[in-house]
Amino acid sequence: MFSLTDKAWSPYAAGIVIGLLQIPAFLIIETALGTSSSYVTIGGAIVSWIDPALAKIDYVARHISDAPKNWWQVALVVGIAMGAFLSARLSKAVRSPISPIWTRALGSSSAGRRYAVAFAAGFLMLFGARVADGCTSGHGLSGMAQLAVGSAVAVAAMFTGGIVVALSLLRRI
Amino acid sequence: MSLTIAIVVGLLMGIVFGLALEKSRVFEPGMIVGQMQLRNFIMLKVFLTAVATGAVVLAVLNGFGVVKLQPKAAFYAADLVGGLILGAGIALAGACPGTTLAQIGTGYRDAWFTLAGALCGAVAFSYAQPSLASFLSAGDGKLIFTDLFGIPFWTGALAWAAVIVLVLLVLERQRPWRDEMGRNVDGDFGPPEEKAARTASMAPAE
Repeated sequence: MFSLTDKAWSPYAAGIVIGLLQIPAFLIIETALGTSSSYVTIGGAIVSWIDPALAKIDYVARHISDAPKNWWQVALVVGIAMGAFLSARLSKAVRSPISPIWTRALGSSSAGRRYAVAFAAGFLMLFGARVADGCTSGHGLSGMAQLAVGSAVAVAAMFTGGIVVALSLLRRI
Repeated sequence: MSLTIAIVVGLLMGIVFGLALEKSRVFEPGMIVGQMQLRNFIMLKVFLTAVATGAVVLAVLNGFGVVKLQPKAAFYAADLVGGLILGAGIALAGACPGTTLAQIGTGYRDAWFTLAGALCGAVAFSYAQPSLASFLSAGDGKLIFTDLFGIPFWTGALAWAAVIVLVLLVLERQRPWRDEMGRNVDGDFGPPEEKAARTASMAPAE
């Protein structure tokens, strides 16, 4: 039925697998699925090395401490890259280095332009996620499953911001 | 729990997560930008299915008193402003913080720039956090809808999951998922003029 060599699974099957990951998250790690805090852990750990004053900020200290939760999430995002790599290998997927949609969306086939947009987008993404205290995983998957009021606001804002920008700044793909 | 166990569990869970993101194709920029341009609904389908599954799982685990809920605090201004900035970033990155790593795993070169920007964004926020603290923590604290309505969490969570299933049934009938995959199962349907030409060639001759 579902094989690891398939190119695509139904979004419903994949969604159920992702939702079931809440079981080990809550039972073993006593936390909900999330990904964006790990960027503070990694970024904070690297930059504290150059600027020790950063590690004195309480927020950073909490994220780079050796609390299991911090490094569990770092391992989780590393695992995401590994899992996606394996899955693509098993299905023999062939990808171009940049998705073909970007030439149309950005109105340019320049790789440099795409890299610049990707860098700026990554910056906004994590700055916003940290202001909101969560991303598509923490507020989205976990917050919405827990019926959290703040997460509903964050998810509504996230889709609103995404839709407005995708329709106004990007060309149709 | 030891740090080593946490890291091993994290890696294993991440591999499953990454595999599911890749198989569902939701990590593709074509799917994420397509969703934000309201042309493609794979992202919403995966997202809502995972939310409904999580709600059922937590209704059971929390209902039987096995686990405590871990909702984030409701800080409305921060959720609203942060969510808008995050959404803008997701549209331009064609990725979210989790799927950026899946894009790296599958060989998208631009995802490395998204990652670098994201790490800089996280560090920039960290420097700004002490001065933003009062803005960031204004609100109701941990609040969930079932407490607002005065009903047990498990009842509300199961009802929410049922609503999502209904929405997905309607969505799937309107837009079967197989029609949303694209040329290379990446949400890419080619240039609009190509699409228009294809439609025209299928139209009956006058």
